[in-house]
Amino acid sequence: MPMYQVKPVSGSHVKTDLPTCMYAVPNVHALQNGEVEPAVKALEARQDEIMRKLYELKAAVEGLAKTVTTPDADLDLTVSSSSSLSSQSPTSTTFRGTTDLDALLGKVTILKLDLGALRDIVINANPAQPPLTLLVLHSVLCQRYRVLSTVHVHSSASSVPPQLLSCLGPRHPDSYARQMFQLGFTLIWKDVPKLQMKFSVQNMCPVEGEANVARFLFKLLSPYPSDPAVATLVDSWVDTAFFQLAEGSSKERATVLRALNAALGRNPWLAGPEFSLADIACYCCVLQSASASSAPTNVQRWIKACENLGHFGPAKLYLK
Amino acid sequence: MSRSSICLAALSAPVAANKLGPPSPACQAQPSGTGGGRGGGTGGREGLSCTDRVLVRVQDLIPEKADQLIWLRARVHTSRAKGKQCFLVLRQQQFNLQALVAVGDRASKQMVKFAANITKESIVDVEAFVRTVEQKIESCSQQDVELHIERIFVISQAEPRLPLQLEDAVRPDGDGEEEGRATVNQDTKLDNRVIDLRTTTSQAIFRLQSGVCQLFRDTLTEKGFVEIQTPKIISAASEGGANVFTVSYFKTSAYLAQSPQLYKQMCICGDFEKVFCVGPVFRAEDSNTHRHLTEFVGLDIEMAFSYHYHEVIDSITDTMVRIFKGLRDNFQTEIQTVNKQFPSEPFKFLEPTLRLEYTEAVAMLHEAGVEMGDEEDLSTPNEKLLGRLVKEKYDTDFYVLDKYPLAVRPFYTMPDPNNPKYSNSYDMFMRGEEILSGAQRVHDAQLLTDRANHHQIDLEKIKAYIDSFRYGAPPHGGGGIGLERVCMLYLGLHNIRQTSMFPRDPKRLTP
Repeated sequence: MPMYQVKPVSGSHVKTDLPTCMYAVPNVHALQNGEVEPAVKALEARQDEIMRKLYELKAAVEGLAKTVTTPDADLDLTVSSSSSLSSQSPTSTTFRGTTDLDALLGKVTILKLDLGALRDIVINANPAQPPLTLLVLHSVLCQRYRVLSTVHVHSSASSVPPQLLSCLGPRHPDSYARQMFQLGFTLIWKDVPKLQMKFSVQNMCPVEGEANVARFLFKLLSPYPSDPAVATLVDSWVDTAFFQLAEGSSKERATVLRALNAALGRNPWLAGPEFSLADIACYCCVLQSASASSAPTNVQRWIKACENLGHFGPAKLYLK
Repeated sequence: MSRSSICLAALSAPVAANKLGPPSPACQAQPSGTGGGRGGGTGGREGLSCTDRVLVRVQDLIPEKADQLIWLRARVHTSRAKGKQCFLVLRQQQFNLQALVAVGDRASKQMVKFAANITKESIVDVEAFVRTVEQKIESCSQQDVELHIERIFVISQAEPRLPLQLEDAVRPDGDGEEEGRATVNQDTKLDNRVIDLRTTTSQAIFRLQSGVCQLFRDTLTEKGFVEIQTPKIISAASEGGANVFTVSYFKTSAYLAQSPQLYKQMCICGDFEKVFCVGPVFRAEDSNTHRHLTEFVGLDIEMAFSYHYHEVIDSITDTMVRIFKGLRDNFQTEIQTVNKQFPSEPFKFLEPTLRLEYTEAVAMLHEAGVEMGDEEDLSTPNEKLLGRLVKEKYDTDFYVLDKYPLAVRPFYTMPDPNNPKYSNSYDMFMRGEEILSGAQRVHDAQLLTDRANHHQIDLEKIKAYIDSFRYGAPPHGGGGIGLERVCMLYLGLHNIRQTSMFPRDPKRLTP
């Protein structure tokens, strides 16, 4: 309730001369050396802290609200701006992501009954350019989910070497009952100019290019890093691998190898301290371009590290 | 040897009994052209006897044979006089070439007139020189050579008015309307099948059909199958009496077999393990559609398996893939010939064959907006839509749909042990249309009786069938395809009457 304001009796400050003969009483609210009392300071500090937390909470809630209402919005950048390239969120580790395929690929529902039918990923590849990255990702997928893998030869493909026919491993003993599998991986050797993946014919157009299919498959295993800078770095390495390492001239390859060397000098893996799709893609392309033996030291060390992880068995097997 | 001889006698005395044997009675050359003597065996014969004469095939006439003098028997496809010359197109099955009679010291004006007046489709014997041409003859199959005729004889003359013209019969449907040229109605073609079969398209189609049959036999024999012949006159209708033809059989009546199934199964129980049979199948359905006939040729397979009925599916699909490969590799000419009149996409398939389950198919249809229950049978439009969806996703025209719901299959189908709503049965599709319906059969007499009771079938009628399983029967399965339908779908044609030589349907009993 506003109080009645009394007009100042006297005007503005009048200069008064304080008598020097009087004894000045020290400030009862202050300490001896003129500092503010610690309790007050502590109070102030606590207040500041509470205010800061409040603001942070507010920002976080706003960010979440945006994510909920906007379908494709990433997390509000103001929240993650605090984390820089060097610090990784403590919760992400290799290949630990949601096992909920329904959320990732969309539930297969039929008139409110979930028939649990097989979700089949169809990949059309040219036998002249076998996709090593996808073979590696397939073997990782098999460890995570129940995958029914089949290899077919299309009538347009003239002759396919036998090792390509068995590149997805031996036939699963349960393969007579397709319903029992969560995911289907159908590889068709066909005379196509560019590798192609088809999944949901009604909702998705075909995905072209080994890099893009690799990204799709990787996202089934674990989400991309939430930090957009890291995610972009991963993407850029994947593209470098497929465009310059695999398809480029020898000069381009040499440049890429030097870039790899430099990046691996700073970090154990290409995109920072964590293993990522960038490592898979670059490893496979390095192996396919047969420049593994002539690579610089950091790259060699990294190749050995990749092999130790054990995911790359199928790639090495094929190349033998 | 006299050059300019025409034997008009040949026209009046076809294949007269003479000492010279089958070649035309007019082997004897006449020194002067017209009005020569009768073509009998008397008179001075030429040095060569006619049995030494070798008739060359049109397809063998290539530039390498230039300047040779050859004999040829072919039909006159067209004949056209132009002043002092007459152009003939001579045809043998799929091949034709141009031939020329020109007035000169070899041929008289009357001979040219004679040649021009030979009716179309007549069979002629021709002695001619093979000559190369500077400009390719686009309209013939032999484009680099033509014949310069020395002698020409008519072996069998055709009536001047033909019920249909061959060029019209081969014309693609779209062309006819635009340029005002006629195409021939299918019914006319079928009524005059003898002439229609002479067209290049028909020749190609039926040669391919013969190839299918041949490949079927060869592939299965190689896999260790035994060919059997089953009776077509049977005593009882096995699958319900509505769709069988009745024949009078002495004092009683009998039926024409709807499928050789019962006998195939009896052969399996008789320890033949793997059998197949090729024979007619009679279905008395009053279906006037583009893909039903009342009589067609069934290629049926039945085999005993060791552990799982998928062995049967694998065997059948492998046979089909081998047939497709054989057609693709050895019958390209025929396929291209048919495509000229009936253009279509080449047939695509995967190896090993794609196998989808019924639930997946229903899910795909649901995704595409079709409403159907998960135990409902697929209607024909749904089958076609499913074919298109599968083609879009997997790029194959041939696939197997496995694990049909039990409710829509016949009583002798083995139910799925893991899920009683479904059965161990499958259908195979080509270009979205069903070509084979098969299953694992119930081989236990008691289970068979139970299933028959469930379907409310009179057990008395099928007593003989159930009896065959009472004395030890191995687990077995199989299926049957229709030869005409497979050809029709492989070539991308739209009516099964095009692939049946003398089709039978509710409205047609002749020729």
